[in-house]
This record gives sequence, C-alpha cells and structure tokens, in this order.
Amino acid sequence: MRKTGAVKRRSVLKGMAAAAATAPMPLGAAFAAPRTLKIGLVAPQTGPISLFSEHIPFVLEQVKRATGGNLDIGGTKRPFEIVVKDSQSNPNRAAEVASELILRDKIDIMCAFATPETVNPVSDQCELNGVPCVSNDAPLEPWFFGRHGDPKKGFEWTYNYFFSADAVIRAMLALWNKVPTNKKLGVLWPNDDDGNAFSKVMPPPIKEAGFSIIDPGRFDLPANNFDAQIAAFKAAGAEGVFTVTPAAEFTVFWNACAQQGYKPKIVTPGKVGEFPPGVYPYGDRGINISIEVWWSRHHPFSSGMTGQSSAELADEYEKASGRQASMGLGFRHALFETAFDTLRRAKDLDKRESIRDALRDMDYKSIVGPVNFKKGPFPNTSLTPVVGGQWRKSAKWPLELVIVDNTLAPMVPLGGQPEAMS
Amino acid sequence: MVGTYLNLIVQGALLGGLYAIFALGLSLSVGVMRFVNIAHGDFIVLMSFLLLVLSSVLKLNVLLVLPLVIPLAFAAGYVLQRLLLQRVIGDNALLPLLVTFGLSIIVQNGLLQGVGADTRTLSAGALDVASVQIGGLSIGVLPLLTFAVAVALAFGLDWLLYRSRLGAHIRAVTLDVAAADLIGLSSVRVYAIAMGIVGITVAIAACFMGLRMNFDPTSGPSRLLIAFEVVVLGGLGSLRGSLLGGIILGIAQTIGGQIDGAWQTLAGHIVFLTIFLLRPQGLLPRY
Repeated sequence: MRKTGAVKRRSVLKGMAAAAATAPMPLGAAFAAPRTLKIGLVAPQTGPISLFSEHIPFVLEQVKRATGGNLDIGGTKRPFEIVVKDSQSNPNRAAEVASELILRDKIDIMCAFATPETVNPVSDQCELNGVPCVSNDAPLEPWFFGRHGDPKKGFEWTYNYFFSADAVIRAMLALWNKVPTNKKLGVLWPNDDDGNAFSKVMPPPIKEAGFSIIDPGRFDLPANNFDAQIAAFKAAGAEGVFTVTPAAEFTVFWNACAQQGYKPKIVTPGKVGEFPPGVYPYGDRGINISIEVWWSRHHPFSSGMTGQSSAELADEYEKASGRQASMGLGFRHALFETAFDTLRRAKDLDKRESIRDALRDMDYKSIVGPVNFKKGPFPNTSLTPVVGGQWRKSAKWPLELVIVDNTLAPMVPLGGQPEAMS
Repeated sequence: MVGTYLNLIVQGALLGGLYAIFALGLSLSVGVMRFVNIAHGDFIVLMSFLLLVLSSVLKLNVLLVLPLVIPLAFAAGYVLQRLLLQRVIGDNALLPLLVTFGLSIIVQNGLLQGVGADTRTLSAGALDVASVQIGGLSIGVLPLLTFAVAVALAFGLDWLLYRSRLGAHIRAVTLDVAAADLIGLSSVRVYAIAMGIVGITVAIAACFMGLRMNFDPTSGPSRLLIAFEVVVLGGLGSLRGSLLGGIILGIAQTIGGQIDGAWQTLAGHIVFLTIFLLRPQGLLPRY
C-alpha cells in the first residue's frame, strides 16, 4: 500500500513538473490522467515470413473493441497503447526495432512472435535492457538453446510459450506411423536457427520410432535449386518428406518434385503447411499435406479477453476478413491475453521488476491452452498442446485443416483419420 | 548410382541454361561494349517484378506477358544508354562502374519501397509442374524450355553479333569509336541499340528466373555474381562460351549439392576459380 502511494505521489510530482514546463497546460490534467502503459510489438509485417502477421490488424482491432484502449487494473482504468514495429523478417532488423521500442518508446512490456528469427533477437534485447518480454510462436528449444540458455539458471526477463520441437516431432511421428510407408524420411533442414535446431533435436526420436533419415545436409537460404536433394530422396526411396523452409523455397522444391516425378506418401512442410495461403497454391497437390496443429477452431479453449470459444474466434475472423482462420490467429490473440494478464497482476506498474514478477508467476488459461512458465520443459517456457492435422478439400474453402491425430493432446477432438498423399 | 549422377548432370545442365540467360546480357555489355554493369542482376529482378505486376493486372500467363515486355525492355535499355550510360563510357573504366553501382542501389531500394521485402515467384500455371520422361529421367518442361531458350538466344545473339550487318556496326564501334564515327556510323546510336538488346535478354532472364527461382528486391547481386562467373568462365564477349560456362556452373552446383547441401554454392565457386586459374582467358575466348 505504502509503495503504491509513493509512486502515485511521484507521478503526480512528475506531472506537476511537466505542467510547469509547459506553462499553459491546466494543472488538473496532470492529476486526472495516469501514465499511458506502452506495449511494444515486433512483427514481421513484410518479408519471407510476413504470413505470420496476417492476423495482426484483426487482433489489434479486437483488442481495441474489447478494452476500449483502457485496461481494468484493480478497479481503475489504465490507458494503454500498443506500438507495432516491422522486423522485415530480418533478425538484425528485429533487434534494431526492439531496442528502439525499449529506448525511444520506453515500453513497459514487450511482445514478440513468429519464429526464432524474430523472437530471439527481440528477447535478447529485452534481457539486455531489463524489459519484461512475453513471446509465442517460436519453438521452445531454438528459443531457449538458440539463445544459449542454461537450464539451471534460465533467463530473468524473457518468457516464451509455444510447442517444443520435441512435442512436434512426437505429434508428427504419431501421425506418420498411421500412414503405411517404408519409414524412410527425407528431410530439408536449412542453415538457419530452426534448421540447425531441428537437425540436432529431431534425429534421435525419429530413429527411435523406427524411421530412417535421409539428410542431404544444411543449405543456405535463400535456396533456389533442390535437384540434388530430390535426387538423394529418390535414390534412397524416401516415402516421407519433412521440410522446415520458408514458403518460397518449398514451392521451388515441391514444383521440382512434380517435374522430376518424385511423389512421396507423406509430406510435412513446416513453416508452410501451417497457413492456408501456404497450401492453397498447390491445389490438389496440397491434399493430405500433413502438419502439426497448435491451434484450430476445434481446440476446446476459450479467451480470457473476449470470452469467445476457439470456434467463435475463428468465425469472427473469417467473417471480418473473408479469409480462412489459421493457427496463428489463436496465438496472436493469446499474445495480448497474456500481456494484459501480466499487467493486471503486476503490483507496481511503474517498476519493470514488478511486471516481470507477474509474468514469471503467470498461471493463465488462454485460447491456446494453459500458460504457466513454471511448468515448461525448460525454465521461462510453457508448452502448449500440439496435435496432427492434414489438409483436405472442404465446401467452404479450397483446403481445410482436419485434426487426424490427437495422441499428445486427447482433449482436442478428431475430425478424421490420417491418409497417404495421392 | 550411375542413374543418380546422370540425372544430376541433366538437371544441372538445365539449371545452367538459366544461368547462361542471366549471363548473355552481361556478356554483351562487358565483352562488346567494354563496361561492367553492376546493376545487371538488379535489372533482372526489376523486370521480374514488372512481369509479376503485369501478369496479375492483365490476368495473363507470364509467358504471354513476356512478348509485351520485350519491346519495353528494349526501349528502356536504349534510353538508359542514350541518356545516362553514354555520358560515362570512355577511357575511364571506373565511371560506368560507379554509375551502375548507384543504379543498383536505387533499384533495390526503390523496389523495397514500392513492393516491400516479400519473396515472390512467378507462375506459368500448369506448366510449373509439367514433366516429360526421357530415357528413364523425369525432366521438367519448364527447365527444358528455359534451356532451349538459352541455346536459341546464345546462338541467335552470336549470329547477330558476328554475322549480321548490325553486329558489324557494333563491333566496329567497339574496336575504335573515332574511326567508326569517321566512316559515318553513329556510335551513340549503335551503343544504344546494343544496350536495347541487353534489355531484351534481361527481360527474358527475368521471366525464366521468376518461374524457377524465388526473388525479392535484394536478390539482384547474387544473380550478378552468377552472371559474372559465367561470363568469365565462357570467355569475355563469347556468347556461346557463356552458354557453356552456365552449364558447367549449373552442373558443379548440383553435384556439389549432392555431396552436401552446404556445398551447393561453394562447389560452383571452386569450379569457377579452378577453371579461371587454368584458363584465365575463358573456355571459348573471342578476344
């Protein structure tokens, strides 16, 4: 109590000082308006992974409508502002805009999402400058170990919830095992954060499940020629293919596969198959593309911000945008849910340490599932549920994601059974 | 095993066709007009974006838009040479280098501003994935078409330069500008026409690059590097040499990729350096 009083007095003093400096300003205003809270958001709005930012305008609009620009904190209304900066899908740029948000905009909490390429540099900047940062949509291992995290110590300021590479591979193995193949898996893992992390984490569990891996090696992005990889997969008779490349690379690869008569029975294109616009261009060649599913309209969770169920959120998005709702929508929505939950529970909003403590102690039921950073496989992380899905023809959309395996998260209902690609 | 490598060599050679198309325009400007166009790759990328925009606006297949763009590209090359490059070519080899370097920066940033940083590809509809069986190998129709265009362009330009009247004019101006002007050739006009022809090759390169590879506003320099290696491999000013150089580079990259994914680009550079050390004048030198 005393603490709060002290801060109030200080901000009042500050307000008076400001009022004195700008002489004509009426003194009353300084008393009436509490400081506007600032939430920083780094998003890849342009560039190769701009698909991740598709839902941002809709979710920002939703936030505005649900809150009216004010957060209800302990009975008082606190105005807040969300400052969005474009990472241009570039890690260096992401770090640059993050430090701008911290130093120039003086944000109270940072939000970031969309692959380790965005989230890691932003998290690093926050750790360095002592600003609380909540992020999602970056797999836990590349986020934690890619930043040289020590499982004994963890991080002080940065927290991330999403699936782990380990959970994804177990979800996908459960799905792949249900499709009859020769269990030979060709992989395309590029020379980037995700590719390098996957190449370290994935092989043991894949081999344990009885699959053999045909790995033609790391390749630099952007890549334009997959002839050698296709030749290697064909020579080894790989009936499954697992890639983690941007959409543009997968298109080059998948077109060349067709040209060169290579037809695998399972195809799992990470970073592409998650998005409807990622698979639409392939038409019938996109049917039964399989992918891990971290959120869908079928997930049995609801939002703490709007009270919507997953299906209701998806419907609202589809109605507003005319586009199919996809996994990212849930996580964009959840990102703000968790940021607001943190601010609501912070004891002293003028102390970054206090906001960080609230973030650290989070135990929240979001639209993507429960988030609790004390339970994650590593410190500072929380694992959200993952299931397996395949793209099928549907009446409403060219292709629609159907949940075909829920081994890892039985609470998510099945919509069909796994099938081989034709 | 033999089948795998035969397949790799064929696929690599087809990729080389595309590399040769990149290089033909540069070969003309380096070997014939004697200046290095640093913005060559950026011009290709610029044209790819133009094709992308036109094909989505006109709702036409890219391959049908290309014939519309070719006259435009010729005009652009002509005007560029006449109004800008003509002022800087001459005894000082550094000037055109600096000017085209500046153009490269302008094109890249202009594209970033205009179309954003997104990576794009062009699509030719069903042709993207069409394939034919030849002797047990599956070969894409599009790479095959690219290769055929590369061969036709290399031999066509070679004929134009060394067998036609226009080619004689261009070579005369290359050899001695003053003497050519003296016998009544307008060197300014001849240079502009030559650059117009370069523009045509750039448009064709842009079309086939966009169909096979992805591109973004900053992918120009990597295309220039490929084109430059191919030109040097083949021999300055030799168009048929460029075709050969492209094929060698394509095969080297594909076989390198077979050894390890990381070796793809590196193998191309190593083969380039090796051949350059052994035969600095290029494989089929003209001069």
